[in-house]
Amino acid sequence: MKLGNLIIAGLVTGSIYAVFAVCVAVWYRVCNILNLAVGDFAMVGALGVDNLYRVKGMPLAAAIVTTLAVVGVFAYVYDRIVLRLAQDGPRRMEGIVVTFFFTFALSFFIDGVAKMLFGTDVHAAPALWNGQALTWASLHFERAGLLVLACAIIIGGAFWLYIRYTLGGKALEASGENPIGARIAGIDTRRYRWLIFVGTAVIAAVFGIVESPITGYTYLSGATISLTGFLAAAYGGFRKPGRALLAGLFIGVLEALLGGYVSAEYGDTVLYAILAAAVLAWPRGLGFESAVSG
Amino acid sequence: MNGLVSMLRTRSLAPTGVVVVVGVLIVLAYGPAYTGAVFVLSACYAIVTAGMAVQIGFSQQIAFSQSVFMGVGAYGVAMLNTYYSIPVLVATPIVMVGAALAAILLGSVVTRVSGLALAVATLMLPLIAVGYVSATGFLGGAVGAPLTATLWPTGSSDAIAIGGGLVTVAFLAIAVFVASRILTSDIGLELFVLGVDERTAAAMGVRTPRRRLELFVLGCVFAALGGAAYAGTQQFVPETLIDPTSELALLIMLFIGGRRSVIGAVAGALIIQYLQGASNWVSVNILVVEGVLLTLVLLVDPEGLAGIVNSGIAWLRGRYGGGLPALPTPTRAATEPDADALEALEALEAVDSSEPAFSASEIPGGPDEAVAATALLECKAVGKEYGGLTVLDDVSLALPRLGLFGLCGPNGAGKTTLLNVVGGSVPPSRGHVLLNGEDITKKAPHERFYLGISRTFQAVHLIKGRTVLDNVAVACLASHKSSIVTRVARSRLDDARDKAAQTLKELGMQNLASREVSSLTLENQRMVELARALAPGPRLLLLDEPASGLSEQQRYRLADLLRAVGEMTCVFLVEHDLDLVAQVSQRIFVLSGGRLVFDGGPDEFRSSPVVNSLLVGL
Repeated sequence: MKLGNLIIAGLVTGSIYAVFAVCVAVWYRVCNILNLAVGDFAMVGALGVDNLYRVKGMPLAAAIVTTLAVVGVFAYVYDRIVLRLAQDGPRRMEGIVVTFFFTFALSFFIDGVAKMLFGTDVHAAPALWNGQALTWASLHFERAGLLVLACAIIIGGAFWLYIRYTLGGKALEASGENPIGARIAGIDTRRYRWLIFVGTAVIAAVFGIVESPITGYTYLSGATISLTGFLAAAYGGFRKPGRALLAGLFIGVLEALLGGYVSAEYGDTVLYAILAAAVLAWPRGLGFESAVSG
Repeated sequence: MNGLVSMLRTRSLAPTGVVVVVGVLIVLAYGPAYTGAVFVLSACYAIVTAGMAVQIGFSQQIAFSQSVFMGVGAYGVAMLNTYYSIPVLVATPIVMVGAALAAILLGSVVTRVSGLALAVATLMLPLIAVGYVSATGFLGGAVGAPLTATLWPTGSSDAIAIGGGLVTVAFLAIAVFVASRILTSDIGLELFVLGVDERTAAAMGVRTPRRRLELFVLGCVFAALGGAAYAGTQQFVPETLIDPTSELALLIMLFIGGRRSVIGAVAGALIIQYLQGASNWVSVNILVVEGVLLTLVLLVDPEGLAGIVNSGIAWLRGRYGGGLPALPTPTRAATEPDADALEALEALEAVDSSEPAFSASEIPGGPDEAVAATALLECKAVGKEYGGLTVLDDVSLALPRLGLFGLCGPNGAGKTTLLNVVGGSVPPSRGHVLLNGEDITKKAPHERFYLGISRTFQAVHLIKGRTVLDNVAVACLASHKSSIVTRVARSRLDDARDKAAQTLKELGMQNLASREVSSLTLENQRMVELARALAPGPRLLLLDEPASGLSEQQRYRLADLLRAVGEMTCVFLVEHDLDLVAQVSQRIFVLSGGRLVFDGGPDEFRSSPVVNSLLVGL
């Protein structure tokens, strides 16, 4: 049952990548900016709750609400000041090269502030669902893992349904495809930009709180998560949340299998080599065609 | 000798001069002191960012390979030194050759893709490299690799510090020299176009895959040189040198300094490293500082500090320079278009009367009846499908060497697709395209450009941020078959600009030559695009809706111009304006639903029931 347990572990890790991939993909769809800071919001969620609860002695519920509120307000302010200037200002950001590095700066900034506030040690938010791992046949299900998986499916599925079946989803798609056309058609593209930006930031923070008991976070963990989420989003063609979700899960399972069967030391190296080879072999199949011209 | 003289005169030497003077002064003044050490470390990074300015900033080929190749340089020197006791100065060239070979191998795989695909594929490189280094232990693993030797081999510790500093400055000067020479050469113009719009670059004859590979190798070799200098001056190679954080730090230096400016990229590296070395607070909170600085700089000017300084200089000139305004005054600009177009016509008519229009018999090889009779362009049973959608269905047509041929059809009829199939940017699903009897179906757009196919695009595809002259010069470059390295010695950008100026003069547009293209009216932008397509003297000119967005008067002027062009070469014109097409074309093709439904002269075209029902709605 090694295989089964590896797949379960892989699905849990994969669902982390999947949620961040979905967040990256949805926002890219709205405003053509790749948000590479999304993982940093998760780190802030986890370390923020830990700090307020364990160090400051706040009740857990209050700590969670406060942390999420801070993340939401920060994201809103960032949108109002920086993104507004960048996208609507006199010198509009253009081309993938500039926008690509824009959120790098945000990521660096958040990590730096987190280092000041939370230090450099590994911490985690307290587990929300305590107890022994659930066992079925010889398969082990960690409770935190199940929670993560459930969150991923709910969040990813909700976005997918929203985009596919609602008018708001269509408007959101239009905002990214042709911002000027969308505005002429009466869609407030700026509103969608901040709504999705704040929304994905809060979702990421929630996810960080739920997930951190499994892996533990440092102030630098956000960048790593963003990176893998970004890769999963890439394999979903950046604009397709559904495909990004599947790609995230697949990468997680592949990582677990490589670690379990190939080599614990070289597993990740082999994983990245496989992922790079996939991009090079089927750039169009993975949806890069549309992304390239941006 | 001439080349050397012109090289010395060019502006491209200024950045190198600045680097040498400032670098040598700082090393001599502060050499063994802490400030000197900080400067030398930042110079190592600056060598890398100078290469990135060419590869990532200017040509917009984002490849995350710098930290890895910095590692190749640093570890290479460390290993050659530790295991074979080779001095650093000898090991450096050996390692550079090795890095170049490795970069060619790796680059020929990864540069098959471009844009985000290239970024994503190379994003794995630092991750793979870190995984390898920390798992093997051969290179010192997570601990790092120490060196026993130094860049400057012997002497007191002061001599080693100053000598090593001077050698590093020399390396940096070489890097800046090569980078700025390339950017100011004709290949620099190619790279600029490649960065802005790869499709236009290919249509203008730029060998995009080859340039991408050359850029990748250049970036890697510069990074390896920076890495070698790092190992030689720091005497220690930490594992963190190659990880993604270090890659991002390099990118941030580049973007803060100014992505398209070599001297800006160097300044960015110096500033970030200096701040870290000078203040302990900055060093601890470097992430916050870099994040805030990068955000501010990008918001003020996407071209970074170099862009800010340039705008500042332009503003000062505009304000205090008096006679040197940055742009022509708007009143003059407003009166220009009409005069231009009229002059254009006069010029072309003058050309026509003095040199009687080319006739079939005058074309090279013309007297031979058989050659004259073969069509210039032939499409044989061309079909194109996207998924299950048939866009072109069994289209066959032939165009002779001279004349103007219209292509009409309702929206979605496949007109632009047919033009793209001929131009080479879209491969057909079936059928063949022949130019002069030669099958060119499999040829890339840039190869078709060499064969004399030139085109314009439906939406204006000019290169923003460059002058009209440079936009036209793009089509006159002789550099396509040369390698990037040859342009360090001699640029032939002036030849291309001369040829472009000639074309602009013939079209009566010389007074627009120094204007930046995005400041032009739509009519003038379309004229510039036409000039760009005409400049290389094409055998086949593909025009995609040149009249769209023009007023009626502007269309009249365009029609006269097109008639004149049609007497000199073969023009294939896609156009929605039926009157314009009927006025200028000697034969018209109509596509509908991907099929050729009409083929005849302008009179037939006007009276044809098929055309009337399809296009006029009668």
